[in-house]
Amino acid sequence: MKVSKKELVIHYLALIFLAICFLLPFLWLVFASFDQQATQAIKLPEKWTLDNFTAILSDPSNIRSFAIGLFISLGQATIVVIVAGLAAYPLSRYRLRYKRSFLLTILFMTSLPITAVMVPVYQLFLFLNIQDSIIFTTIFLAASGLPYAIWMMKNFMDAVPIELEESAWVDGASVLTSMRKVVGPLMLPGIFTIAIFTFTGSWGNFFVPYILLQTQEKLPASVTLYQFFGNYGIIEYGKLAAFSMLYTMPSIILYIFAQKYMSKGFSLGGASKG
Amino acid sequence: MHRKAILFLSPSWILLLLFFITPMLLTFGFAFTNLSLTGTDAANIQFIGFQNFTNMFQDPEFRISVFRTLIFLLFSAVVGQVVLGLILALLMKEKRRGFRRFIGVIVIAGWVTPEIVVAFCWVAFLSDAGTFNAILQGIGFEPITWLFTFPMVSVIIANIWHGTAFSMMVFQAALDDVPKSVQEAAVIDGASRWQIFFRVTLPIVKGSIVTNMMLVTLQTLGVFTLIYTMTGGGPGNATQILPIFMYNQAFVNYQFGYGTAISLVLLVIGTVASLLYMRFMKVKL
Amino acid sequence: MRKRVKGFGLILLIFVLALMTACSSSDETESGKKELTVVYRSPGSVDSLKNFFDSGVLDEFEKEHPDIDVKITPITASEGDYFSKVALQMKSAETAPDVVSEDTFMLNSDANAGYLDPLDDRIADWEEWDNIIENLKSGVTAEDGKVYGVPSTSDSRGLWYSKELFQEAGLPVPWEPKNWEEVLDAAITIKEKTDGVTPLFMQVGKANGEAVSMQTLEMLLYGTGDTLYDDSDKKWVVDSPGLLDSFRFISQVYDVEKVGPDFSVVMSGQSGNVAFQQLFPQKKLAIALDGSWNARNWAENGAAPIENVEEKIGFAPMPTQNGQEPGAITMSGGWAWAIPSKADMKEESWEFIQFLMEKDNSINRSLTDGNLNTRTDAVEVEEYVNRPFAKESQAYLENAQFRPANDKYPAVSTQLQTVVEAIATGKLTPEDAVQQYKAGVERVVGKENTKVAE
Repeated sequence: MKVSKKELVIHYLALIFLAICFLLPFLWLVFASFDQQATQAIKLPEKWTLDNFTAILSDPSNIRSFAIGLFISLGQATIVVIVAGLAAYPLSRYRLRYKRSFLLTILFMTSLPITAVMVPVYQLFLFLNIQDSIIFTTIFLAASGLPYAIWMMKNFMDAVPIELEESAWVDGASVLTSMRKVVGPLMLPGIFTIAIFTFTGSWGNFFVPYILLQTQEKLPASVTLYQFFGNYGIIEYGKLAAFSMLYTMPSIILYIFAQKYMSKGFSLGGASKG
Repeated sequence: MHRKAILFLSPSWILLLLFFITPMLLTFGFAFTNLSLTGTDAANIQFIGFQNFTNMFQDPEFRISVFRTLIFLLFSAVVGQVVLGLILALLMKEKRRGFRRFIGVIVIAGWVTPEIVVAFCWVAFLSDAGTFNAILQGIGFEPITWLFTFPMVSVIIANIWHGTAFSMMVFQAALDDVPKSVQEAAVIDGASRWQIFFRVTLPIVKGSIVTNMMLVTLQTLGVFTLIYTMTGGGPGNATQILPIFMYNQAFVNYQFGYGTAISLVLLVIGTVASLLYMRFMKVKL
Repeated sequence: MRKRVKGFGLILLIFVLALMTACSSSDETESGKKELTVVYRSPGSVDSLKNFFDSGVLDEFEKEHPDIDVKITPITASEGDYFSKVALQMKSAETAPDVVSEDTFMLNSDANAGYLDPLDDRIADWEEWDNIIENLKSGVTAEDGKVYGVPSTSDSRGLWYSKELFQEAGLPVPWEPKNWEEVLDAAITIKEKTDGVTPLFMQVGKANGEAVSMQTLEMLLYGTGDTLYDDSDKKWVVDSPGLLDSFRFISQVYDVEKVGPDFSVVMSGQSGNVAFQQLFPQKKLAIALDGSWNARNWAENGAAPIENVEEKIGFAPMPTQNGQEPGAITMSGGWAWAIPSKADMKEESWEFIQFLMEKDNSINRSLTDGNLNTRTDAVEVEEYVNRPFAKESQAYLENAQFRPANDKYPAVSTQLQTVVEAIATGKLTPEDAVQQYKAGVERVVGKENTKVAE
C-alpha cells in the first residue's frame, strides 16, 4: 500500500506529538525526585541530589515494605500462571460437558471488580481467622486474578496447534511433559503477558492489602506509598517522587525483561469470531 | 481423560470457590443487613430486608454516582483508550522498527506505572504551577486549576494515559494478523484506502476490538486507586464514581451493609456490560 | 505417565499444605517478656508522640515493669482511615492492640460495638482521675453512662487572626469580636482595605471531612443555642433556626460577600496546611476559624516557623451568634487512651495508661506535641502555659461543647459536609440546604429518630 510522502511526514509528526504528550506527565516525577526542595510546581532542581533516594533507601521499614510487596506480587503471579495454565489446558484441548458454562462463568467473573467485594472478603477472612496474613493476602490476590488469566491463557493455548503435541505424545511424552516442553515454550509470550499483567496489578494495588493486613510491619510498598501521601503532615514531594520512582522500577524491569515476547502476546483475535 | 481434566481444573476451582464465589455470595447476603464497622449495629447484625436498597434509590448522591460511573466508562474506556489505541496502532503500522519501538516504549511506560504513581504524576502535572499550566502560560494562556475546574475531564485523561498502551498492543497484534496479500489484492482491484480500511482491515480486527473493549470496560469499572488518590471523589462529589461512593459509605460512614448493597449495583453493571459484549461478538468458546 | 500425575499431585499437596500452615503464624515474644502493643495515629514524618515515647519514658516504664515489653505501633493514616483501621484491628483477638488511642468522637461508637472495655471499676481506685478536667470527662462517657477512655489530649477552636493585617486595615488589636456580625464586618473591612489577602478562611471542602463539620458548622451552630442532637429525647435535630442561620453565615462569607479563600485552595484536602503553613506566614490570610493545634506549625521546629509569633498572630474566641451567654464557645475534641475488649493483657494496659497520665509524663507529652493538656493542674506548670497561645487555648475549654455521642454521627457529619460545601459554592441556598440535610439525615438515621426544633 502506497502512502504519499507528505502523509508519511504527518504520520511521523503525529506520533512524535503523541509520544511527547505521553512523556510530559513523567517530567515532574524525574525532576522532583532529584530535588530536595521539590514542590508540585515543575522546575529544574537547583541542586541535583540523590538525598531523596538515600533517605528512602536508608529507612529499613521502606526496604521491608518493598520486600513484602515483591513477595506478594511475585507469589501471586506465580500461582496465577501455574493454576491458570493447568486450568486452561483441558479447556483448550478437551471436549468437556460443562465447558461452555464454565467459560461463561469465568468470563463473567472477570467483570467483577474486587474493590466491590472487599467488605465481605474481610468478614470471610475474619471468620476463617486468616486475617493479617501475608500468605493469604497473596492467595486471595491470586484468586482474584485467576478468571482473567484463565480466560487469556485459554485463548493463547488455542493458538498452539494440537498437532505439535500429538507428535510429542507419539514420542511417549505425557500430557504434563508436552505441556512443559511443547506448549509452554510456544506460549511464552502469553505467559509473560499474563504474568506481567497480574504482577503490575497487585504491585499497584493498595486497597486489598490495606484492608486484609492489620500489622504495620506487614504492609507492602503500595500501602506505604499511599500513607506517605495520605497523611496530614507536610508533604515531602521530593521523597514522594523518589519513592514513586523506586516503586515503579520492578514493573519496568519486568517489562524490559519480557518485552521481546510481549508484542506477540496481545493477539486476542482468536478469542472470538467476528 | 476426564479425570485428568478434573485434576487440572481443581486448583483453580478451589481458589475461585473459596476466595471469589464465596465473597460474591456473601455480598448478596450482607447487602440485606445492617452490617457496620462500628456502633451498636456492629455488635448485632440484623437482616433488614430491602432497606439498604430503598435508601440507595432515594439517595441523590447514588444516582449521580451511577451517572458519573457511566460517563467515566464511556469516555475513558470505550472512547478514549480504544480509539487512541487504535489510532496509535494504525499510525505505527509499517513504520521503521526502531521508531515503532521508541514510541511503543513511551506509551507502555504509562501502562506499567502503578496506578498510585500515575495519580501522583497527574496531580503534579495538573497542579497550579504544574507542567501543563507552565506550557499553557508559555503559549499565552491563563493557568487553570484543572482538578478543581475540570475534575472529571482530568481523571478521564489520566486514566486514558494509563490504559491506552494495552489497547494499542492488542490492535498492533491484530493488525499484524491482516494478511498482506489480501490488502494487495484490494489495491489491485482499485479500492481506495478508506475502502480497504473499512472493508478489509476492520472486519479482520473487529473481534479484537470488541474483546478489547470488553476487557477495558471491565478494568475501568474497577478503577479506584487512581481517582481516590487524585481527587478523593471530589471536589464535592464531581468524580465520585461507584467504587468511591461504596468506599465512602463503607469505610468513612462505617455502613458496611449499605456499602455492600452499592457493590451489588457495581456487579450488576459489570454483568450487563459483559453480557452485552458477549452478545455482540457472538463468542465462540 | 502415572509418575507425572503423581508429581503433579505432590505439587498440589504442597500447595494445599502451604494454605493450611500459613494461618498458624502467631505472635509470641522473645525472651519471655509480655508484649504490650500500643496503637495511635501518626500524622507522618513529624510524629511528635513517637518523639515523646522515644525520649526515655518507655525505658522508665519498662524498668518499673521488667516483664513488659512495650511495642509502639503507630498507624500512619488520615483520620478517617485510622478509625476504620483501628476498628478492623479490634474486631479480632489476634490483631487487637492492648492500648489504643481513640478520638473521643469515635469512642461511643466503638464502645457500642463492643470493641472497648469500660473503665469505671479501674477509675474508682485511681486518685489521679480527680485531676482530669471535669468537662472532658463527658467526652469519654458513652451513651450507656460508662467511661471508656482516659482523656489524653484535648483541643479548642477559635479565630486565628493576623495582627499585622488587622493593623494595616485599621482594625482593633487585640481583637475580640462580640458576635458573628463583627466577624463578618472585620472580613469585609480586610477585603476593602488590603490587596491580595484572603479575609476569612473556614473549612468547607468535603475533602477535609470532619474538619468541615466541627471547625465550621458546629462552631457556628453551637453558638446559636441549637444543637445537632437532643440528648434528652435522643433525636437528631434536622431543622432549627440556628441551623438555618449557620448556613446563612457560610453563604454570606463565601457566596454573598465573597470574603472566603479561592475554591482551589479550600476544596483541596491540603487546605489547612496551605492556610497555616503558607498563607498566614506570608501575611496573605487575615482570619481563620480553626483549631488550637495549628500553633504548632509556627513553633521553632514546626513546618513554618514564625519568630515572636504572638506579636504577629492572635487567637480570639469564637463569639456566639448575637453575643448571648456564655459569650463565646468552642467545640472540643481530643484523644483518649482506651483498652480494647479483645486485648489480652488488660491489667498491664491499665498500668501503662496510668503511667502515661502521671503529671510529669502527661505534661511532657503536651510540650512535645503542642496539644492541650487534660489535667487541671497543667496551668500551674510554667513551661506549659508559657508556650504561645497556650493560655487562650486552655481557657476556651471552659465553654467547650462536644459532638453528639451517637453511632450515627459519622454518617450525619457526612451529610453536613455535603450541604456546607454546596452552600459555599453557591449550589444550594441556605433554605434548600436545610431541606436537603433534613432528607439526608432522615434517610441515614430513620425519620423516627429526628425532629424539628422551633
